[in-house]
Amino acid sequence: MSCPELLRTQAFLDGELDGAAAAQAERHIESCAECQRFCSDAANLSDAIREQASRYDAPNPVRARILGALKPEGAKSAPRRSFWSGVAGGVGVSALAAAISFFAVLPPSAEMLAQSVTDAHTRAMMNGKTIQIASSSHHTVKPWFAGRIAISPPVADFQDEGFTLTGGRIDKIAGLPAAVVVYSHGKHQIDLFVWADQGSNLPGDSTSHGYHVLFWKKADLDFAAVSDTDKTELKKFVGLVKAEPE
Amino acid sequence: MDARRLRFEAEALPHLDAAYNLARWLSRSPVDADDIVQEAMLRAWRAFDGFRGGDIKPWLLAIVRNCWRNAGADSKRRAQTALPDNDNVLVSESADPERQAAQASESRRLDEIIALLPDEYREVLILREMDDMSYRDIAEVTGVPIGTVMSRLARARAMLREKWMGSYA
Repeated sequence: MSCPELLRTQAFLDGELDGAAAAQAERHIESCAECQRFCSDAANLSDAIREQASRYDAPNPVRARILGALKPEGAKSAPRRSFWSGVAGGVGVSALAAAISFFAVLPPSAEMLAQSVTDAHTRAMMNGKTIQIASSSHHTVKPWFAGRIAISPPVADFQDEGFTLTGGRIDKIAGLPAAVVVYSHGKHQIDLFVWADQGSNLPGDSTSHGYHVLFWKKADLDFAAVSDTDKTELKKFVGLVKAEPE
Repeated sequence: MDARRLRFEAEALPHLDAAYNLARWLSRSPVDADDIVQEAMLRAWRAFDGFRGGDIKPWLLAIVRNCWRNAGADSKRRAQTALPDNDNVLVSESADPERQAAQASESRRLDEIIALLPDEYREVLILREMDDMSYRDIAEVTGVPIGTVMSRLARARAMLREKWMGSYA
């Protein structure tokens, strides 16, 4: 623990920073090997605790005794209500750690990317594992990625425009780690895939199995937006993402 | 209808599992956790009129923590360092028994490592990682400044990393 910025890095990771402070922390992390290691270790620990550490629910007899003791003298027993249902457990975060590795291979082809993005999206939709971190706050979602993947995807909420941030996950596109920012639009889900550009030519816009896929590049990142929502709506979404300052 | 009770049930009782989990992790004993959480909920019930809105969870967990501290003297005399039993370790959906056993033993080991962290580090870690609490809320529960929360959390993570990942490096 020698980096003087470590506590700030940790605060960023814990979603405690916003605006300029978050941007400053992010810039520092990019240039500090120690803070990068801290982020990835802390993310691994956090996943391990959420997935593997025991979480103890109040035993029913304890609950019953407490409810009994709350009863005022002479009062009739209160109706049982399902107060217990709202207590959510931890987010079922999968243990996909950020595999920061560099492959000296040819960049994936356009066809491969198109196939890979559709596959990743349908796979996630089918097994219901589209979200590892559930949150509508970019202050939570953005730092979540910091410890798990070596790229920093743009995370914003476009609620006013009808696109609501719902969370994120780590996935793979053509063997590359990809950040997926998940939005909802009405009843539809939009997956925004972001991965490090490998110099690939990107596929053109496509539609397969009812999913529209739009690709674009920005700076050193490749993007793909996938959804079964209306194509015009998806284009509107892409416009918003593109306009987001990085 | 007793309005006060309904309000307490609606606001405080949804956090009963979190209260119990904290009591259990702090005391490291199922028997003590039962007593602590019952005492805490009754104190909260009696003090409920003094609770002036805002987020009730840190207020409630602060009471749990105080009850644990008060109970601490008794437990120390007994000098028990009961580790968490693992009757409710998460069981994976995997059908592979060997993998299940490996995961169960991983979980047990992680539980033991967390349980053996010193109190002041264990509590911030539990509040942050299991209850997703903000630094401000953790400071409220533990009664220390936010800066102390931050440094304890960093230290807790460093200790945990050393014990948990160190052996895997």
